[in-house]
Amino acid sequence: MKPSRHLIIVIAGRLLVLAVVLIGAELGVRFGLLSPLFFSSPTQIATAFQEQLDQGTLLPNIGITVFETLLGLVTGSLAGVAVGLLLPQMQILSRVFEPFLMVLNGIPVIVIAPLFILWLGLGLPSKIGISIYIVFFAMFIPVYTASLRLDRTLVDALRVLGASRWQIFRNVIVPSAMPSVFTGLKIGSGLALIGAVIGEFVASRAGLGHMILYASGTLDTPTLYLGIIALALFAAVLSFAIDALGPVLVHWRFADEK
Amino acid sequence: MLEFRDVSFSFAGRRGDVDVLRDVSFTCGEDEIVAVIGPSGCGKSTLLSLASGLRTPSRGEVLLDGKRVTGPSPLIGMLFQQNTLLPWRSVAENVELGLELRGQPKANRRAAALALIRQYGLAGFERKYPHALSGGMQKRTALAQTLALNPEVLLLDEPFAALDAQTRVVIENDVVKICRAGRRSMVIVTHDIAEAISMADRVVMLSRRPAMVKEVFEIPFSRRAASVADVPAMPEFTPYFKRIWDALDISITGMGAAA
Repeated sequence: MKPSRHLIIVIAGRLLVLAVVLIGAELGVRFGLLSPLFFSSPTQIATAFQEQLDQGTLLPNIGITVFETLLGLVTGSLAGVAVGLLLPQMQILSRVFEPFLMVLNGIPVIVIAPLFILWLGLGLPSKIGISIYIVFFAMFIPVYTASLRLDRTLVDALRVLGASRWQIFRNVIVPSAMPSVFTGLKIGSGLALIGAVIGEFVASRAGLGHMILYASGTLDTPTLYLGIIALALFAAVLSFAIDALGPVLVHWRFADEK
Repeated sequence: MLEFRDVSFSFAGRRGDVDVLRDVSFTCGEDEIVAVIGPSGCGKSTLLSLASGLRTPSRGEVLLDGKRVTGPSPLIGMLFQQNTLLPWRSVAENVELGLELRGQPKANRRAAALALIRQYGLAGFERKYPHALSGGMQKRTALAQTLALNPEVLLLDEPFAALDAQTRVVIENDVVKICRAGRRSMVIVTHDIAEAISMADRVVMLSRRPAMVKEVFEIPFSRRAASVADVPAMPEFTPYFKRIWDALDISITGMGAAA
């Protein structure tokens, strides 16, 4: 009884905050309290939404950014997991590459972006490339660290039971890294979007980043807000989707809480 | 029969080789329980990692039924001090792990695992994950996992140190019974003298590093007890405890004097 009442109050509170912001913006812009150059009312944004839909530019722009982000996230994550798991298995190789990887990881992605545009052109490949690059490190670092801090007793116990190197890799090393893979995905999903949008900001012909930058340049404030809202909604959906993967990746941590 | 023959072990440290064990020799016959005690850090656990095939002696050899131990073998099972159950496997999946690693078909190994689970009082916990179990239950699961491969030799590396006193006596008693019933050999490393006397037929005392066999105590009476819990109440217990305590105490003083 009590928790459900609690929940109702929380949800009502959230709706109230949303209503205050929306109504405040609407009235503020309408009555001249907020400059339309800096702020847009919900109705203006809705009009911009309708215009963009009619011109047939909104959905392709959303689709392009979503595609870049998802492809960057999947490819970068897979590469990060693979290298993060395999590199610690080869001690010498691991020690050779570690400093290079750490330095590369330290370079801010914004300064790497022009290089990707130079290599891969103005189209989608450069955005996907930037996304892969930053997602790779978001995944590689936690997985690699987890592999280095492996519980050696588990390995010994399996060896006594007769496990081969491959069986140890599959039964101990891979599952031990799964909580870090989950962490990597959570961080990586945010960064994948950042990578795609940064790429679009640096140079592009389409995408939400392009739409936002163009709207900003032409002082089309409602479209600017529309782009930001679209990005925010996509980021939220992505974050929920990643959270839903938790019970799949680390099922044993969720097992006894049902 | 498990035999340590002039076993020495050293490893390369920062300032030259570190000698851990030096010429350790003793045997553990079929249906025999040997406890190994000694000052902490003296290399007791190393001895077990040599017997289990996880490491190779620098000199000397460990023999199982006359054959040199060169690596892990299904004939040798080991129970570790730490919890070594895989957190992502349920109790049943952990118990059948050894059989799975050795290529047993799924139906066989699951049936074997469920039988062991019932036998060791884990019925109803098959689907639970290790973190939901008490320390005693975790040890039982690990024990069932080891016994699923039906080893001839059981090696125990201070496995009960973290358990509360009652749970500990119950599980010690179970292990002794399992050992006797299967005519297995068992080597238990401990620093608890009472545990050593209660469970073992023989107590091997190691010196401080590099560890050598300092003294061997035959314990002729623990086998007569109906339960491990009864041993401390036997009249022979106290004199043996005192003898071993005194022997151990000297090496502790020796270590202090050297430091």
